[in-house]
Amino acid sequence: MILSSLARAVAAILLAGVILAGVLLALGASPAGVFMALAQGAFGNWYALTDTVVRSTPLIFTGLAISISFSGALWNIGADGQLVVGALAAGAIGPQLEACPKPLAIAIILIAGALGGAAWGGTCGWLRAHRDTNEVISTIMMNFVAAQLLSWSVHGPLIEASRAYPSSTPIAESAHMYVFFPPSRVNLGIVIAIVLAIACWLLLFKTDVGFQLRAMGRNRRAATFFGIPIARLTVTILALSGALAGIGGAVQVSAITHRLYEKMSPGWGFEAIAVALIARLNPLGIVASALLFGALDNGSQAMQRAQGVSAELVQVIQALVIMILLAFDTPAVAQLWSALGGSKVAAPSAISEIPNA
Amino acid sequence: MLAARNITKRFGATLALDRVDFEAHPGEIHALIGENGAGKTTLMNIIAGRLRPDGGDALLDGFALRAGSARAALGSGIAAVNQSPMLFERMTWEENLAFGGFAGDRFELAAVASEARTLAEGLGFALPPARSTIEERSMAERVRLEVLRALSFTPRVLMLDEPTGVLGPSELAAFLDLLRRLRAEGRVIVLITHKLAEALAVADRITVLRGGRVVARTGATQTNASELARAMIGDLPPKLTVAPKSVGNTIALAIRNVTLHRDGHRVLDQVSLALRAGEIAGLAGVDGNGQSELVEVLAGVLRPDSGEVRGTEMDRAELTVIPENRDLVGLILDMTLWENVVLSRPLREQTTHRGWLDRARARDLCAQLLRRFQIRAPGPETLAAALSGGNRQRLAVARALASGPKVIVAHNICRGLDLAGAAEVHQTLANFAAAGGAVLLISSDLDELLETCGRLLVISAGRVRETDLNERSAEKLGMLIAGNWT
Repeated sequence: MILSSLARAVAAILLAGVILAGVLLALGASPAGVFMALAQGAFGNWYALTDTVVRSTPLIFTGLAISISFSGALWNIGADGQLVVGALAAGAIGPQLEACPKPLAIAIILIAGALGGAAWGGTCGWLRAHRDTNEVISTIMMNFVAAQLLSWSVHGPLIEASRAYPSSTPIAESAHMYVFFPPSRVNLGIVIAIVLAIACWLLLFKTDVGFQLRAMGRNRRAATFFGIPIARLTVTILALSGALAGIGGAVQVSAITHRLYEKMSPGWGFEAIAVALIARLNPLGIVASALLFGALDNGSQAMQRAQGVSAELVQVIQALVIMILLAFDTPAVAQLWSALGGSKVAAPSAISEIPNA
Repeated sequence: MLAARNITKRFGATLALDRVDFEAHPGEIHALIGENGAGKTTLMNIIAGRLRPDGGDALLDGFALRAGSARAALGSGIAAVNQSPMLFERMTWEENLAFGGFAGDRFELAAVASEARTLAEGLGFALPPARSTIEERSMAERVRLEVLRALSFTPRVLMLDEPTGVLGPSELAAFLDLLRRLRAEGRVIVLITHKLAEALAVADRITVLRGGRVVARTGATQTNASELARAMIGDLPPKLTVAPKSVGNTIALAIRNVTLHRDGHRVLDQVSLALRAGEIAGLAGVDGNGQSELVEVLAGVLRPDSGEVRGTEMDRAELTVIPENRDLVGLILDMTLWENVVLSRPLREQTTHRGWLDRARARDLCAQLLRRFQIRAPGPETLAAALSGGNRQRLAVARALASGPKVIVAHNICRGLDLAGAAEVHQTLANFAAAGGAVLLISSDLDELLETCGRLLVISAGRVRETDLNERSAEKLGMLIAGNWT
């Protein structure tokens, strides 16, 4: 199963590359040069490689948030807001941790982020479970509330001592995340992300709760018939989903920015939907697809410098990969895969279920 | 003339149709009969353009139909009615019918509704209340709506897949008359059924499928029920072998004065009934009279507005419900068989330790059930969607029994099953009752209940009434089911 979906993702990426090469040729650019520059910028040297990892980290957290909520057919479009609120909670408590030993300070800041994100996601879960409010709408709206809350905080209550810039007081030194191989920015965050990915995978596929969640995602009405506590599961999972995104925000504050700015996320919560879909919602696959997206983001700058091609081209690649995956995600293609020695059973994909929200 | 030539269709490793030839003429009712999994529905879907055959053609008046195009088939005048209605759940019935050929294909709901009403009245159907959505309608109502939708195209060929399973005795006669009327108009009528009496009563010619092959073609007057049954299944189905045990006095399930409203309608009206350990009680009625709601109350999905439900130990785990609509509620089709088995809470508890799902045990349990109940499936990792209708139903029954209940509430579980399959399910339930269990068998098939149940109750318009032995005649029960209780 995992192997065949991996092969599928790789095939989609290759096909996207071919289409893109055609476009580049038509524009008079050299496809080989562009792809080389892209790869060079993403993996070409130690600095590029570590920065790819750093850029992927928040996408893993938000991707996991999408994975567990979408697995239960809970369409959380608010991972961005949940990440922002997690960052806000971390940035608010961070300056107070001066006296704490480092491990404790880092634990506190991560827990603060988790709680912030959980509150944001859990609220939407409660609204869905008890007021039948469509979570697609409520989670999208909460993104704006989170963005405004952050903006107000860094202009008002959390503004730094000189009150000159809209940013918060820096967090305490003790709350800075462990950094590996300085001066690189690779930090403990990637390890936490991978551990959480494994935990999410275990949760989804090895536990009773995960089974109930997947059953609910496949057929909510049947799940009701078999006594699965839909309302409780909805609240818990959206809170957990928010917590994962929130930890992503806290890691960003603790490891990279060390303080809050008006804009903390370039849209990681939305990019994460693409990341999760390419991984077919599999938490372990999300680590790989987040690394791919991080590499594309990272390589795009070098590509622009070296080849004069706009960095936005990378978004075209990302979009192409997703569209190709969706276009070929049909039973017929699944049969072809199994005929070619892939999986025995053509499992319907998580992706094709999404329109039933 | 409608013809299928040399049709072959494979699903994965299963050969569903093997070089099938089929022919039906205008002005005839052609019954297509066979066991579950014989390939009847597949053949219909291929002719209707919903499936593309691996080999062979469908022809209408000598012209080949475009394979795999439902639109082309409909355009040439071929309409099909599904066994499990394919309607848009969250749309109103008027909107669903607007997808048919009513109102000259214009999207005018008022015109659609009035034309549908005229057509329905001509056929003796009752339509649902205005603007109600499909998800709140019963199976019988859905089938009727789908027949209406198909007829709205004024098709030259009308194919119906097990349409009579959900009809009550009074509706059945009217429905068969309707088929005769459509025949008189010179249409080709293909009736897929497993009810031999029905096929003999209404059909002019009969084609029998077994295991994807045509095993018999005959005129209806040149054959008889036992000959057809032999052709269909090879052997005649066994009769129940366990005599109903003398029923004790232990009340296994008691429902008192349960009343439930839905959308302002009273769908359950002061329902009271008691079930004793060791008995199979039948609840007869035309679908849509409150059966689904009663099942949902018993499953704990709906809370009644008043009244109470009690078992001996007041424990939901002791009561298992096998719900009616097996595709939408009973099984999750895109999950594996073992996952479907552990959907049942007692079974999930058996295969869970401190929150961790023991997959190996769950698969073992599933494999055991597949063996014990002779469910034809490659193994526990198969998707439920890959099972034939009969095997899905066996799985639902197997799962219910395996959860170790004291009470089983089964709703229309033999619908669409062939004679042998139904007999097997009844035997299983009889064994369960003989071992001290209690069964409430809810069905719209009166013959099934009369054959199986020691005690018979009737539901009509949400009210439930006990019958006594001298009321056990088809006419009297027909009256009761229709609500004539005086």
